[in-house]
Amino acid sequence: MNALLKLSKWIDALNEGIGKIILWLVLAAVLISAGNAVMRKAFDIGSNAFLEIQWYLFAAVFMLGSGYVWLRNGHVRIDFISSKLSRRSNAIIDVVGMLAFTIPLCIILINLSWPVFHRAWESGEMSQNAGGLIRWPVILMIPLGFGLLLLQTVSELIKRIAFLSGARSEPFSTDHEKSEEERLIAEIAAKAEAKAQAQAEAIARQGTAR
Amino acid sequence: MTAFIAQNFVPLMFAGLLCFLLTGIPVAFGLAATGLLFGFIGMEAGLFPTSLFGALPLRVFGIMQNDTLLAIPFFTFMGIILERSGMAEDLLETVGQVFGPLRGGLAVAVVLVGALLAATTGVVAAAVISMGLISLPIMLRYGYNRSIATGTITASGTLAQAIPPSLVLIVLADQLGRSVGDMYAGALIPGLMLVGLYLLFIFAVAIVKPAWVPALPVEARIYREPTGASGHRSLVVLLVLCAAVGYGWSLVHSDVIANLTGRLTPAPTDETVILSLTVASLLALALAIANRLLRFGLLSRLAEQVTFVLIPPLVLIFLVLGTIFLGIATPTEGGAMGAVGALVMAFSRRQLNLRLMRQALDATARLSVFVMFILIGSTVFSFTFNAADGHIWVEHLFDKLPGGQLGFLLVVNLLVFVLGMFIDFFEIAFIVVPILAPVADKMGIDLIWFGVILAMNLQTSFLTPPFGFALFYLRSVAAKKDYKDRITGQMIPAVTTAQIYKGSIAFIVLQLIMLAVVVMNPQLVTGGIEKTELLDPDQVLQQLDLPDVGLPEPEAEEPAEATMDPAEGAASEPEAGATVPAGN
Repeated sequence: MNALLKLSKWIDALNEGIGKIILWLVLAAVLISAGNAVMRKAFDIGSNAFLEIQWYLFAAVFMLGSGYVWLRNGHVRIDFISSKLSRRSNAIIDVVGMLAFTIPLCIILINLSWPVFHRAWESGEMSQNAGGLIRWPVILMIPLGFGLLLLQTVSELIKRIAFLSGARSEPFSTDHEKSEEERLIAEIAAKAEAKAQAQAEAIARQGTAR
Repeated sequence: MTAFIAQNFVPLMFAGLLCFLLTGIPVAFGLAATGLLFGFIGMEAGLFPTSLFGALPLRVFGIMQNDTLLAIPFFTFMGIILERSGMAEDLLETVGQVFGPLRGGLAVAVVLVGALLAATTGVVAAAVISMGLISLPIMLRYGYNRSIATGTITASGTLAQAIPPSLVLIVLADQLGRSVGDMYAGALIPGLMLVGLYLLFIFAVAIVKPAWVPALPVEARIYREPTGASGHRSLVVLLVLCAAVGYGWSLVHSDVIANLTGRLTPAPTDETVILSLTVASLLALALAIANRLLRFGLLSRLAEQVTFVLIPPLVLIFLVLGTIFLGIATPTEGGAMGAVGALVMAFSRRQLNLRLMRQALDATARLSVFVMFILIGSTVFSFTFNAADGHIWVEHLFDKLPGGQLGFLLVVNLLVFVLGMFIDFFEIAFIVVPILAPVADKMGIDLIWFGVILAMNLQTSFLTPPFGFALFYLRSVAAKKDYKDRITGQMIPAVTTAQIYKGSIAFIVLQLIMLAVVVMNPQLVTGGIEKTELLDPDQVLQQLDLPDVGLPEPEAEEPAEATMDPAEGAASEPEAGATVPAGN
């Protein structure tokens, strides 16, 4: 179990690291798209390479990011029933779901997409648009993305099984317990609190001044 | 066994999907797995060729290439940056100060800010959380009726679904195969009318039950002049001046643009509205900046505060929508420029730092991943679904339905409404909409109109107890225990869940009224859009048959739009019978 948990840690670290990198691809896509729009309108300069790099970047973000999002339990679930079940039952469902669905899904898609990538790589296929980009890097994102997802699924599987067998106290990675909403709540509440404090003090001061 | 599977393949597939999703496994994986599983079952049963999934990588590649969906991260990033840079708090405080001295003023402020947040963040959760934490305590402190207070907040939060440039409309446009610009244009007027309806309701409450919506007491008004005046006069003068200039622009807009671009057709209403608002807002900002730099001292503190807090986000929204409506930018480019605009705004407010940037980018990346993966999952699902001629099965299902278009819309709305209580928007958009859209199209339903109806419907669903998301988010931030108010020192009782539920009812009714109005009057949606398709005889017929609902109709300003001309409708009448698949 310990060796497996170590493997799971490595995989988590890998996808965590990828998560840190894809952030900046989002920013790059935003800046390139805005810059391209301005250049196109203002100076009538534009190239298909700049148009294509935008969706190359976005494709990289969502394909490579799927393992990272899985690590943070960010793939939406319909929790209408599962929220009423115990953590143990949910962990069992997850294990069955991963073995029966997620792992085969990843393997099938890697199998299907690898030859497509390989063909593009061999032939050096280019975009059909004038000045477009070479195709294989973006096609590579499909098998690569599902590969990362597969690795993360293995890691999640190890974590759930460790939880069920008592080797681990939590079914998920605990570094990211707080959801987006919870963080937002904490942030706004802290600001509102500070403001109310200041206001109350101001009123108290006014009171003593009189 | 094989025969049974072959005959009931599609219903079995739906049942399988339902079972898998209800177990709580991630939707994206459940969808894809259902598609693959039934695909292989079908291959075993000899229903499909074994090469069925061979084209799957190309479809995933197609999703990557989709330019419309590229707008998702851009608008999300713009919204999160605005939301995290303290815009919501400032807006709520400032607008609250403007309307606070009036009865019902705080509620009006919540509705207006809700609409503004909707247009920028487009996320129900964020809007409800911000308003629940900032406005609710103030409303409770000064004695608002609890149900009115909570209802206003949850209802204004759900506006995020239907007001452009909402994410929901982008995804719907993509799934319905229509342009995002048209979808925005179609949703604009119904969305604004809904805001108007909320405001009317609050005015009515202020008149009938003044004690439910008290005005802010004098000591709670913070932007007072040294002389003790409230500063509202100066604000009104500024507003009237800018409104006059904006109105003036609306009169000449069509000619100006025609001269600039050589366009021959008159400008559509929504474009004129947005551009006139932009001109008026920019003027206000210019005046306030001039006043501050040159120390004229002409504007009151309140007027200045309002201009500096309110105008930048307004201008940003107007510019994004304006360039999209004008066709200068694609929605994707508009989103990217909006995101850069939001960064500039956050920077100028000295709120932009590495931490905020990372957070916003991280949230954007994660949302993009889960949304796109649901789409990939549903693509795998639809592979098998289409191979099994699922669309024909669904069509037959609706064939038996009486009532033609109206019957179809009624059933679909009920279905989506119920689904909306349990599953999130993106699942509905990627699973349900592609199944229903071809049927709607065949019935001659304008798909933009259909999309706006769905968006309006979903927002009602998100507000309906006991499962509405908006109610859930407000519950998570409203006080669960009695607390002592900081300012007044009084004990404020906890907000009960029953109060939150009760508060939503009035607004659900308002939304349903608006939904009915949109269903009865397709021209509210389609009126502002330049007609690229042939007009639909079915709709024209429906127009002629249905009595007009006595509501103000903004499109009346536009006599040039001849789509609903009775003569034309009558002329195309003979063809109508041919296009009605059901109902006769």
